[in-house]
Parts: sequence; structure tokens; C-alpha cells
Amino acid sequence: MLGKLSWSAIPFSQPIPMAASALMIVGIIVLLAWLTFKGHWRYLWDEWFTSVDHKRIGVMYCVLALVMLIRGFTDALMMRSQQALAFHSAGYLPPEHYDQVFTAHGTIMIFFVAMTFVIGLMNFAVPLQLGVRDVAFPTLNSVSLWLNAAAILLINMSLVIGEFGRAGWLAFPPLSELKYSPGVGIDYYLWALQISGIGTLLTGVNFVTTILKIRAPGMTLMRMPIFCWTSLASSLLMVAAFPILTATFAMLLLDRYLGFHFFTDTAGGNSMMYMNLIWAWGHPEVYILILPAFGVFSEVISTFSGKPLFGYRSMVIATMAICILSFLVWLHHFFTMGAGADVNAFFGIMSMIIAVPTGVKIFNWLFTLWGGRVRFEEPLLWALAFMITFAIGGMTGVLLAVPPADFVLHNSLFLVAHFHNVVIGGVLFGAFAGYSYWFPKAFGFRLDPRTGKAAFWCWLIGFYVAFMPLYIVGLEGMTRRMQHYDVAEWHPWLIVAAVGAGIIACGIAFQIAQLVVSIRNRDKLRDLTGDPWDGRTLEWITFSPPPHFNFAVMPNVTGAEAYWGIKQKAIQQRRLMDLPDYQPIEMPRNSPTGFIAAFFAVVTGFALIWHIWWMVIVGLVGAFGTFIGFAWRNRYEYELPAAELAHIDDERRRARIALVEGREKGIHAVGYSATKAHGSRKVGWIEEPHGGHLGPATKRIITGYGFWIFLLSDFILFAGFYAAYAVLAHATAGGPTAIKLFDLKILAIETACLLLSSFACGLASIASNARNMLWTQIGYAITGLLGVAFIGLEVSEFAKMIAMDAGPTRSAFLSAFFALVGLHGVHVTIGLIWLATMMGQFWAKGFRPDILRRGLCFALFWHALDIIWVGIFTNVYLLGISP
Amino acid sequence: MSEHETESAGGSHGVDAAPGDEESVGEGIRNYLIGLGLAAVLTIASFWVVSGTPLLYAPGIPMALAALAIAQMGVHLVFFLHLTTGPDNMNNSLALALGVLIVGIVIAGSLWIMYHMNMNMGIMPASDM
Repeated sequence: MLGKLSWSAIPFSQPIPMAASALMIVGIIVLLAWLTFKGHWRYLWDEWFTSVDHKRIGVMYCVLALVMLIRGFTDALMMRSQQALAFHSAGYLPPEHYDQVFTAHGTIMIFFVAMTFVIGLMNFAVPLQLGVRDVAFPTLNSVSLWLNAAAILLINMSLVIGEFGRAGWLAFPPLSELKYSPGVGIDYYLWALQISGIGTLLTGVNFVTTILKIRAPGMTLMRMPIFCWTSLASSLLMVAAFPILTATFAMLLLDRYLGFHFFTDTAGGNSMMYMNLIWAWGHPEVYILILPAFGVFSEVISTFSGKPLFGYRSMVIATMAICILSFLVWLHHFFTMGAGADVNAFFGIMSMIIAVPTGVKIFNWLFTLWGGRVRFEEPLLWALAFMITFAIGGMTGVLLAVPPADFVLHNSLFLVAHFHNVVIGGVLFGAFAGYSYWFPKAFGFRLDPRTGKAAFWCWLIGFYVAFMPLYIVGLEGMTRRMQHYDVAEWHPWLIVAAVGAGIIACGIAFQIAQLVVSIRNRDKLRDLTGDPWDGRTLEWITFSPPPHFNFAVMPNVTGAEAYWGIKQKAIQQRRLMDLPDYQPIEMPRNSPTGFIAAFFAVVTGFALIWHIWWMVIVGLVGAFGTFIGFAWRNRYEYELPAAELAHIDDERRRARIALVEGREKGIHAVGYSATKAHGSRKVGWIEEPHGGHLGPATKRIITGYGFWIFLLSDFILFAGFYAAYAVLAHATAGGPTAIKLFDLKILAIETACLLLSSFACGLASIASNARNMLWTQIGYAITGLLGVAFIGLEVSEFAKMIAMDAGPTRSAFLSAFFALVGLHGVHVTIGLIWLATMMGQFWAKGFRPDILRRGLCFALFWHALDIIWVGIFTNVYLLGISP
Repeated sequence: MSEHETESAGGSHGVDAAPGDEESVGEGIRNYLIGLGLAAVLTIASFWVVSGTPLLYAPGIPMALAALAIAQMGVHLVFFLHLTTGPDNMNNSLALALGVLIVGIVIAGSLWIMYHMNMNMGIMPASDM
């Protein structure tokens, strides 16, 4: 009934996790009681949990990240104190607990602090900077947020119920295989990250579509703020890299749950393939994190120097170069695994090349500061600290990119010091810079500068005290993840490092204090103008906090640094723009879809971890029902009347008049040429002058493009599985080979079924565009029947193979074959369920534009499945039986 | 709702097209028929290649299969997904190009790395183990 779950899953005998979970549970109960007592539930549910407003979603991401930062930092303190104590002694953490602590620390810090924080800042700032009202798919955005929250909940549940993984933050097999990690720890890790990975992928799809398809009038790509460019690069990497992670984890899950042999090192499995695949995701991942941070620094340095960013174009080129190059360096994470000299040399050189665009960026920032009126506010302090710290981290990185040096330093604390140097000095400082920079925009008051500066200095000094000693002990030969040691030379340095962690703890305490002090003094810190930093990008043109529709009229962008131009013109002419013609606008309604979907994701994840199969079904059916409910809704937008907009905007204009008059004396207006907008009808980007109502044609393009981007990620998912198949195709472990198993006749019928169903689907979409219900339904019905025939044939083929003792557990070759072809089959099955519901929608609701959009997406999906099948039937089946 | 207007791909905007949208009924059906014919020919060619025909140089078969697969994928993209190189399809094609690049890097890179590792470490193909 409850699978593997029993009372023994709760670690009553271990005092430290018990105390921690008791503390956590008491904290949650106190919080819930306070919310109930104060009657905040209604407000939270209506205004936050169901909100599809990108700003609120961004704020919620940042809150999650800050909470998880404290959790992950607690793990760090435990590790540093353990290593400070564990010289010639066992310390206070038993090995099995210490292993969980370092695994949880890495996982939480990367996925639920760095990723979450960065995505939060992107959510908050990108639509504002683009001058638009929301992201391309607002409800999907809320789904992403809540899936991330679901994963965080699962990770924290592992503290109380069961255990967490002990195999490091990337769960390398064979240690993470069932044989060596029989507990639920790895399952918690894998399912939590699969759920958050889906959320991240959807965020990537959403932001690529937003940035490429909806921008303010006149906002050409080369007029976008750098933060939007870096967010675009980061989102592209999410779309391109996360499917590889999903594929890799799916293979490990198949090994653990169904006895496959991808990475078991038995029956032909190869654990080195896991390293290869996971790092093909892992390296782009670090650029997913750092690129938006680079964007924040660009904005901050330019704003607080009072100058446009130096070398905007080189910055854009460097960003996009990093985006592509980041996919060509992954082997440098496993130079020592045994590839030959030419492979190591290639990836070593590529790793050094990627330092070049990064160097370009550092110089651009230096030249931006040079000759500027630099104001040393808190965000700029983080940026300056970043430039120095990141340069050091980058240099140790180039050192590690030299394969012979890497053979000495691999897996040592030198490496640990290096990546903390770039992740803390780069990503985390960037997140803090963005936090203090955009906080006044989000809440309408600035953060207290005194406590903020104290926090900054504690973090900076604490970082150097904590991690410079790790470089030294690394060079002295200390490997990472040691629970105890007996080398006397290391001991003093590890004590120093623990002191450093203590200083960082003071920094975090000051950050909490800063929040408290700022909220208490909010009236003194109030931002009345909406432009507290003398900003240059469009988010500063609106209120602080911005109204939920962001802009009453879409800003008209006539040059780079859109807002700076408008502001200077206003200062020169001593007046604001003419009163615009207010038009009514459409806004998306709030939706509980994300929250409910995440609830079922938690149910499904928990049930899978504990092998409670009936609950898995409940969770999946619930999630499916949620999406049907979402897809079936009739009203999802509401209209804001022009009069209301005019009224709200009037208030903003009065504040801006005060700003223009106040600024006129202090700041000298720079000569600004109001060049007429040109190229605003450039290819590939939709211009909606009023931006209020997006017409059905525009929505069709946006939805189709978003789905297209999603399909590309699906292709990459298949590429991951195909790569595993190609590598393992000869690992038959003495079992049957392809030539004995594959049946040409069935294959030919399967291929014909799928090709014809693709054709029928095409005819159905033509009929639906011509509004012919009969032929639409007939076309889709034929599509579906052929799809069912395909699945039937595939299932019988699989059953025959398993009966012949040629199932997926027989050899690595068969594991890879069943996984790849089965993944395609699962896609076809999902397509069939989708098709059935869509046919019902057409029948019930007619040719409504939103259902026609769904028809377009389904057609794309179905044709894409046929394309993937072309790859499979030629390069898996036919190649397998070719003489 | 204001959405009940006629829906035309591109339409008044004329700057961009959704992936997969076609022009008219007649042209659409013609495209699908051409696509179906070409795909069928290429599929049959793939099956013929592995039929043990003496007309082909046996070691070249994998290459022939790969070439036929890529050709057929192209046919599907052009005639079923209506991908063109026209300006209104630039964003769609560029996104596809990025996808193809990453797919290529992942597959080719993995094969290269794992092959070299096996060679260098003297690991026998697992079928001999």
C-alpha cells in the first residue's frame, strides 16, 4: 500500500537531522499559524500564488532562492566546521551524514539558489526592459515557478522522510546505481531535479519567445539592454542543454527502477557515458548561470558610471559567442577519465578560447567605468568585487584547462576553490547586485545602504578567507569531499577556511538585518519618481512598484538606451512627451493551474520515490486533469478600460515632471539626437503599436514559435538517447544482436503508418484552417487510427522481444534500444491523448482561435515525431540489420 | 472576446509566419502530396539499400542510410512543416539551425569522446567481454 515507506524512514536515531527537521517543521507551523491568525491566506492566494504577473513570479523565485541560500549555507557551515575539527579525529558528522551534506549543498546551491535567483531576476526585469506587459506565456511561467517550488519541497522532505543522495551533486554512477545506493536518497535527488528541470526548460522556451517575438515598438534587437541579450543567451542554453540532463537522469532512473544497463558497468553498460552526457549539460549550465549575472553587471556598471556601456556590440557578440562555445568544452570536466591526447588537446584549447570573450567583457566594463561619474552604491560595490574576484577565478580556470595541470589538480580542493571563486564571485555577487539594484523597482523603496555595505564587506572578506586557503590545501594534495584526514599541514588552513565561512555567516545576518531595517524605514527610503538610480533602461520609466500592466502605453523606442533618450529629451525640452492616446488593453487572468500542477508533481514525485504505484497514477491523472481544465477554459483575459489607464498614468506623469525639474540643475543634459525610429519593421519580430490587444494572427505566431522552440528541445532529448544508443550499440554482452531481432516487415508497416498519419494530420490542419469541421474530424480520426496501429505494432514487437529473452535488462545495447524507441512510442501515445482531447475541443467549441493554435502545435508535434522516426528506422533498425 | 476575427497567417503584419503555416488549401494539399511522394520514394530507397543488393558497395551502406535519412528529414521539414528560407521564416529556420548544431555536437562529440576513450584505455568492445 505504501511501497517502501514505513516508520523506519524517519531518522529518529540521528540527532542532527532530527533536530534540523524539528526546527524546520516548527518554523513552518509557526509561519502557517501566523498567516492563518493574520488572515493573509486569501491575499496570498489571490495576489501571489495564482498570479501570472511576471514581476510577482520573479519576486517569488527570489524569495525561494534566498530561503534555500540559508539552507545550503547551513550545509556549508557544517562541512567547514567538520573539516576544521576532523584532523586525526572523526569530527561530529558521521560519514553517511557528511556525504548527504555535501551532496545537498551542491544540489541546492546550483539548482535552487543560483538557478532560481537568476531566473527570478530575469522574470522581474526582462519584460520591463523590453517595454512589454508580460512574457509570451504568462500561465506557463507560473507553472515553471511552481514546479521549481515542488522540487524544493521534495528536496526538503528528504530531510525528514528518508535520506538524501550521498553520491555528490551530480550523482555519478556506478555509485548512484541501485547496487551501491539502494536507499531512496538518489531517487529524491533524481525526481526533484527532473521536476525542476521541466520548469527550467519551460522558462527557457518562454523567454526565448518573449525576447525574440514581443518587444516594444522600435526596440530592435540591437537596441535591447544587455541584460535582455544575456537572458536570451541563457534561455537558449536552457532550451538546448536541459533536455540532455533530462535524458541522462531518465537513463539512470531506468537503470535504478527497471534494471536497464546504461551505466551499470555490467552487461555492457558504461558509466563513463554518464560523465560524458551529464557534462554536456553541466558546462552550458554554468553559462546559464553566469550570463544573466554578466547582464546585471553591465546594467549596474553603466548606470552607476553615468555612461552608456562601452562596446555594446562587442558585448553582444561576446555573449552569443559564449552561448555557442559553451557547448564545445564539456570534456574538460573529465580530462583524467582516459581520452587520448588529441581529444584532451581539443577540449583544452576550446576551454582557453572561451576565456577570450569573457576577457572582452571585463575590459568593456573597465572602460565603462573609466571617465564616468562613478557612484559607489551597493549594486556597484558587488560589481567591482565581482570584476576582481572573477578575474582570479577565471585565471585558475585557464590553469585547470591545461590537461597536464588538470591531471594534478583534478578533484582536489583547488578545483573546489576555483568553482566557488567563479560561482560566488560571479553568479552570487551578480544576484546580489541585481537584488539591490531592482529592489526599489519591485517594492517602491530602496534597501538600507549601511547594513547593505556591511553585508557586502563581510561576504567579500569572508569569501577570500574561506576559499584562498582551499587553493593552498588543494595544491598540497587534499582531495575534495574528505570526512576526516591526518595531514598536519592542512589543518591550520582548514581552520582559517572555517573562520571565513563564519564571516560569510555575518554577511548573511547583515542581509537579513538589512531587509528588516529597510522595511521599518521604508518611508524614508521611498522611491517616489520610479527612477532612484538615474537609470538608462525602460524599467525606470514606470512606477515603483510598477502597475501589473507595466506601461499604460507601450514606450516608443527611438534609439539604444531607450529610457535615457526619453529622459534627456524631457530634460532638454523641460517637458514630458505629449499626452498619449490611451487604448484599452487586455491582460491575462490569474490562474491556479501552476499551483495545482505542482501539487500533483509533488504527489507523483513522492510516490515514485517510495514506489507507491497507485499514488503515481493519482498524481499523473491529476496533472493531466489540471491541464485539461486549463485548456478547456473559455475566458483567460480581461480588459482594462482606457479611462482607468489614463487615470493611473496621470499620477506617474506628475511624479515624472518632478523628476525632470529636479534633475535639470544637478545633471547636465547630454546632447541627444532624436533620430527617427528606423528598421522597426525588421524581419521576424511583431510590432503592435498599441500593444493592448494582440490579434489572433500575432498570437498564432507567438504560440507556434514557442512550441517550435519546445520541439527543438525535444529533438535534443532524442539526441541524448540516440548518442547513448550509438555508443552502446555494440555492447551486446553476448546477447542477441540487432540482426537477429529486428523484423523488416513490421518495420515497413510501422513506417508506412506513421508517414500516412503525418499526411492525414496535414490534411486535417488544412481543413481546420478552411473551417471545414467534417474533414477536420475525419483527418484527425485517420491520424489517430494510424497512430494507434503504430503503437499496437510497436508494443507487440517489444513483447515478442522480451519473450525471446531480449528485453532491456539483457544488455546495454537492448537497454539503449528500448529506451530510444520507447521514448518515441511514449511521445506517440502522448500525441494520441492530446489528439483525442483536441478533437473534443474542436467538436465542442468550433474553430476558436485558441483551439486552432492548439491544432497548429499538434501538427508540428506530429510531423516532428515522424521526422524522429525517420532517424530511428534508418539509423537504428536498418543500420542494425545492414549486412 | 476580440479574438473572433479571421485568422490569417502573417496577415496585416506581413513580417513573420508561424512555423508550419501554409498559404492556401490548394497549395497546401499539393505540398502534402509532393511531400508524401518524395518521402515514400526515400523510405523505399532506404529499405532497398539494406536488402543486400549487389549494386551497392557494402561498406558504404551506413553512409547511404545517413544520407537518405537526412534527405527525408529535409523533405518532411519543407513539405510537411512548411519551413522555407524566406524572410518570414528566418526566426524559425535559425532556431532549427541551433537545434541541429546542438544535436550534431552531442551525437558526434559523444561518439568521438567515447571511441577515443575505449581505444586509449584498451577497452574491448563489450560484445567480446
